[in-house]
Amino acid sequence: MAAQNNNMEFIIMIITAVILLIPLGYGVVSLASSNDTQPFIEKPDEKYDKCVRDTEYMRLNHMDLLKEIRDDAMRRGKRGEITLNDCRKCHTSRERFCDKCHNVVNAQLDCYGCHYFPK
Amino acid sequence: MERREFLKKSGVLLAGTACACALPLLPAAAKSINVDSENTAGKKWGMVIDLNKCAKDCNACLDACRKENNVAMHGDKRWDIHLIRKVTLKRKHPAESPEISVPLLCNHCERPPCAQACPVKATYKREDGIVIVDHHRCIGCRYCMISCPYNARFFNYRENHEWPNKDNTRSSHGVPESCNFCAHRLDKGKKPACVEACEEINAKALIFGDLNDPGSDVSKVIAGNHVRGIREDFGTKPKVLYIGL
Amino acid sequence: METDFETIEGKSTQFSVLLAILAVLALAGLYATYRMYVEGIYLSGMTNRIPWGLQVILAVFYIGLSAGSLVISSLYAIFGKKEYKPFARISVFLAFLFLVAALLSIISDWGRPDRIFEPFYHLNPLSMLSINPFLYNVYMLICLVYLWAMFKEKEKLVKIIAPIAVIWAIGVHSGTGAIFGFVPRELYQSALLPPSFIAAALSSGTALMILVLLLLFKVTRRPLDENLVVRLGKLLAIFIVIVMYFVFVENAYRLYMPVSHEAGMYFLFGGFHSWVFWGGLIILGSIVPAVILFNPATVKRIPWIVVSCVLVVFGVLCERYIIVIPGQTHAPDLFPNMVVVSSALAEGYVSYSISFYEVLQALGVVGIIGFAFVLGLKLFKMMPTEAKVLKESDSVKSPSEEKELEKQTVAS
Ligand code: SF4
Ligand code: SF4
Repeated sequence: MAAQNNNMEFIIMIITAVILLIPLGYGVVSLASSNDTQPFIEKPDEKYDKCVRDTEYMRLNHMDLLKEIRDDAMRRGKRGEITLNDCRKCHTSRERFCDKCHNVVNAQLDCYGCHYFPK
Repeated sequence: MERREFLKKSGVLLAGTACACALPLLPAAAKSINVDSENTAGKKWGMVIDLNKCAKDCNACLDACRKENNVAMHGDKRWDIHLIRKVTLKRKHPAESPEISVPLLCNHCERPPCAQACPVKATYKREDGIVIVDHHRCIGCRYCMISCPYNARFFNYRENHEWPNKDNTRSSHGVPESCNFCAHRLDKGKKPACVEACEEINAKALIFGDLNDPGSDVSKVIAGNHVRGIREDFGTKPKVLYIGL
Repeated sequence: METDFETIEGKSTQFSVLLAILAVLALAGLYATYRMYVEGIYLSGMTNRIPWGLQVILAVFYIGLSAGSLVISSLYAIFGKKEYKPFARISVFLAFLFLVAALLSIISDWGRPDRIFEPFYHLNPLSMLSINPFLYNVYMLICLVYLWAMFKEKEKLVKIIAPIAVIWAIGVHSGTGAIFGFVPRELYQSALLPPSFIAAALSSGTALMILVLLLLFKVTRRPLDENLVVRLGKLLAIFIVIVMYFVFVENAYRLYMPVSHEAGMYFLFGGFHSWVFWGGLIILGSIVPAVILFNPATVKRIPWIVVSCVLVVFGVLCERYIIVIPGQTHAPDLFPNMVVVSSALAEGYVSYSISFYEVLQALGVVGIIGFAFVLGLKLFKMMPTEAKVLKESDSVKSPSEEKELEKQTVAS
């Protein structure tokens, strides 16, 4: 009986650990299994002159910028020169400019349920 | 394995998860990017609806709102969303009084119970008095709908498939909506779409402006007429006022 | 008397079948929630006029059950009534599980359950819906510590935690009442809801606890002294009277005051919910069990007590229904001296019908906590070997218990 019990506990502990680690494991596995290791480089369309920030910053921190303009617009009523609608003037396709990387690093976007961005 | 050990280990696991979840809480560098158009400062937006000028069969404001804000119509009374809707009313006494048609929208209460209720501050009152839903944050608990005594809130029960105005957002399902006085237009110095539509057909039943500014249209109308909000006895202090109600 | 605790055996086929059924229920609930998450919660019976439905009713119901369970254990820890000690562990465990069930119900009801961490980042300290989860979470922690202290037989710690747990439980239930009471709707707005929630919680919790105990002792064939159950039944009778008192005061006030007279009439005689009120809460849920439990002839008989407990639990479920639903179906009188001729929204009185997917979700929650409960009984030493009124010489072991012990040794 006692041995049985200990086994059971051990199994339950393993299951708990697995459930808690599923998200991490999922990310690691999907990153490792993707053969597209350099998906990032894609030049915007001809209209492109110069982005609102330099390339390096945008590559690493565009989400901070987006969150910042989002909170400005939603919470402080400031809608200035940077908007998501303006982004799509040069970055004309969400498949080419967003989804490619986001699929590889498995960061799910739910911007486009509400914001228009061409496919 | 000992039970104590088991408890200890699962405790460590839980604590670790909690820490991992808390990581995003670390404050992001606070800096403002857009610094122009301080449209919220010192303003208090309000609206007066002159029922004497509002024609019974006119739907200009409703259509304009649907087009501007991509409001979903599912063809089912249970789930249709009306940021602004018209109800036809009749006085109880005398019995043969004429029918009047009243546009109803969120009253942008000065003391909004919906904003009090929202557990994550997704519904909140902006500095300029507009009560607005932040769809990025809302968890869809619908407590705001329970709290609004005016039935001014609507929930996106289903996916919306229309998207007439691509420059504005539409709502995905799972979040509530109410009129936001077209905050995106106000911030750029334009009037709400319904007000513009009403002016376009020359009815001028919707008068919109800054209640803090004594020279604005809306303040002048309030000064010269008897206006009242709906059920002011709720104590919510509505900022949408009616002439002839 | 020193009470011994043990795990249940859980090797029979029935046990596995039970676990399997519960697991299937849990999966069905997950499936329904997933469908709603993907397609929108129009799959439930909720509408723009009735934004809160079955899940909220059940969440509130579970929270009530949770408090009642805790009271049983506090009987032993606070008032030193040793004869209730055998029930203490199970009741705290149940209290914990019911709160989990309440939180699961609420979360499965959200439009965006993927944003489950939002409330941790941005808290609105004024919202009843964020004060309450705070109360719930602390309550769950307290339950866990309490449980741990009891497992370790740390009598002192138990004595300290028990009053804290009971006080916190009162806070939890007042808070839950405030979710509805502090809302500007004719049939919600009431300062009486928080205390009446506590009363309803106590009666339903005690009743359910009696049922669970009787069932457990019967299924696992353990001896249970009937006098203990009878005492709990008498306690239950008092709780029922308190609930009835609150219901009476609230409705009398509503009917008497001119401002809410119309709403009060709607509540009492206005449609399906009135049947639930009169038939479910008043007659079946209160009067019948009160008669049974106050009658000295019937209160001594276990079958009668079982009947009244079932009725009380059912009655409190009905009470939760008539708290949550009529407040929404009742139309706010936006234009007091006008009649609404037509509108695009259903402006008048509306009705609510429960949909299939909501029922699936509810069953899912039952499945999850049922699974956890049965598994917990198997893993942790929660079942008392016996329970009886003190004073008799209790060193003699009953034959059936000896058999149990034998079985255990053989198994190990
Ligand atoms: S009318 Fe309703 S939604 Fe609008 S601010 Fe008032 S309470 Fe909130
Ligand atoms: S549904 Fe959204 S906006 Fe409304 S109270 Fe809940 S979180 Fe706030």
